[in-house]
Amino acid sequence: MHVAGVDVGSTATKAIVMDGNRRVVGKACGSTGASVVGAANRMFQEALKEAGLEEWEIEFVVGTGYGRYKVPFGHAQVTEISCHARGANFLFPHTRTLVDIGGQDTKAIAVGERGDIRDFCMNDKCAAGTGRFLEACATVLGLTLDEIGDVSMRSSKPLRITNVCTVFVESEIVSHLAKGERIEDILRGVHNAIAGRSVALLRRVGIEPEVTFTGGVSRNLGMVASLKERLQCEINVSPMSQYMGALGAALFAIERAENIPPGERKIEAAVAEARGGEEPGAHGGH
Amino acid sequence: MALAQSQQFKHQGAGRDLQKDLLGKYYTDLSTANERGQPVAYLFVPGNVVELLRVFDFAVVYPEINALQCGIKKVAGPNILKAEDFGYSSDVCGYVKNDIGLFLSDRQSPFGKLPKPDLLVCNYSGCNTFIKWFEALAEFTGAEMFLLDIPYLREDEVRAEDRDYIVRQLEELAAVCSRISGKPFDREKLRRVVELSAQAEDSWSQILHMARLRPAPFDAYFEAVFFMAPMNVLRGTEDCVRYNEAVLREMLERVEHRIGPVPEEKVRVVFEGPPPWPHFRAFWELFKKWGVASVASTYAKVGGIFEYGFRHDPHHPLESIADYAMSCYTNLHWGLRRDLIQRYVKDFGADALVIHSVKSCRSFSVGQADLREVFSHELGVPTLMVESDLADPRYFQEAQLRNRVDAFFESLEHQRLTKGA
Repeated sequence: MHVAGVDVGSTATKAIVMDGNRRVVGKACGSTGASVVGAANRMFQEALKEAGLEEWEIEFVVGTGYGRYKVPFGHAQVTEISCHARGANFLFPHTRTLVDIGGQDTKAIAVGERGDIRDFCMNDKCAAGTGRFLEACATVLGLTLDEIGDVSMRSSKPLRITNVCTVFVESEIVSHLAKGERIEDILRGVHNAIAGRSVALLRRVGIEPEVTFTGGVSRNLGMVASLKERLQCEINVSPMSQYMGALGAALFAIERAENIPPGERKIEAAVAEARGGEEPGAHGGH
Repeated sequence: MALAQSQQFKHQGAGRDLQKDLLGKYYTDLSTANERGQPVAYLFVPGNVVELLRVFDFAVVYPEINALQCGIKKVAGPNILKAEDFGYSSDVCGYVKNDIGLFLSDRQSPFGKLPKPDLLVCNYSGCNTFIKWFEALAEFTGAEMFLLDIPYLREDEVRAEDRDYIVRQLEELAAVCSRISGKPFDREKLRRVVELSAQAEDSWSQILHMARLRPAPFDAYFEAVFFMAPMNVLRGTEDCVRYNEAVLREMLERVEHRIGPVPEEKVRVVFEGPPPWPHFRAFWELFKKWGVASVASTYAKVGGIFEYGFRHDPHHPLESIADYAMSCYTNLHWGLRRDLIQRYVKDFGADALVIHSVKSCRSFSVGQADLREVFSHELGVPTLMVESDLADPRYFQEAQLRNRVDAFFESLEHQRLTKGA
């Protein structure tokens, strides 16, 4: 059996293809752009290609993220809040607190032993302290989003960034540059400012170890360092962190697929048809 | 509602139809009040003293009701922009800006022309914006403003000295009303008006208590805020008594047939905070999808809390008006708000608390983060807090709200499933 999870985020779309043993056999990530449906299709196809599978071989697809209702091949929709919690529980079973920093959202989630949500809080209608905030800062400094974390790690004298507005922070950075401040010190300040906002959000749900950090921004090592410093504890991060929503969606898809009565499984019907009415279950799988 | 067409039901839709007639007549009467020489008073809803004004035959305008009607009819947005063009900040209360917008449009509303006030009775001081609001209207119109100072309620009971303090102010207000209307203060008439209020309160309280049933026959937030309109606009009249009795019959019929606001009641919630009027339907849909039935709400108590015994008292009319003014929901100390919500959760068998916080209202929204904290972490009541605005359509972000609502009910469903297992 194979299933998929597709996470259509505000900035990036991620897809995961998983087998019945909960192994990731294909994954893909790309920018969402203007067409939500197009991005969902593209990433799903890429993940399928990596897995060496055809679309009809996928038993169940769960869509998540802002575009979850626009995943045309999705059989069910689950919010990314539930999916991140489920994904984090899968990779780091002792996760009790989850911080997810994505393109436009920061989420603090208190996670139960089974990956259930005990409580959650999200940033208000403002992108301060999210991936967009970092992107705005990177653009002003003429760097890419992937570079700024490493540059910030070289800082010896972090500056204090006081602005909480994604737009106005640009002028604050420009004024620091005008004063001759070093780029790495400005960037360290930017990362610390985001960490401060995220920790304030985490306090609202209660911080209990272990803490897991997910979402696109978790790839940024400078952000991981700032969060660790602010929280004064270790943080779980995985190379799969950006895929956490899609991973959780795939795990939900497995559960749903397992609950489908044997005679009604899509793949069995398809296989039976392809083999001229042979008994289902003969399919070897991948 | 399809129910109304069914032969099986005699009373479904009666509340809606009668309310349409009564409010239609109310606004038509308002539009001609100035020409007819009827004195006009503006009044706020929370803990209002309308009974006293009825004695002097004032036509009563409630700017908050106008604002929410403008919200529903999608003209609050343009009104707010007019006020902002005029210089009001984006942080100012959406209701205030809607009203300023109406005044800048020569008081033309979708429900007719609103009359010019002769008297502005600022009857509630718990919201300091109200004072500034009526000061602005006094500036616009030159009308007299009367400030009733209502002490904040910090204990379970109203103190005798606070009651006396308000009664003395009501006597002063009566003198002002008498001067403006040219009518004497008829205390016997006040008793009759207060008696009508008490009658309407009896049936309204019976209706509210019916949400204890499973399934709840009506949504005590999304429907109650509709059904409560005559209690806020027409309290102290025969029409209000008649209306509540019609709604009561409608609800009794729903109970008899075990029908409710959602096809299958899955989650019972207590609601805190006013609804986003410009997106009322869309907001309700977010909850309906999860089989959510509201069984009690605090917003429906801004115009008075009647389930736990309070009634206007014809034997002590002014004293009971004073008690009413002090004990409306918005005038309660945070601890009393918490206690009331806790009581609702217990008495009405709720599974969760939902807080809709209003961006442009700090005086009502303050303390809601603490409510969330206390209910979800100390009292073990799962609590969802979402934010938009009661009048300003710009603050309603459907995708973001849906995400929070879906995640919350998903997690409740999951907890239920795992508990069951």
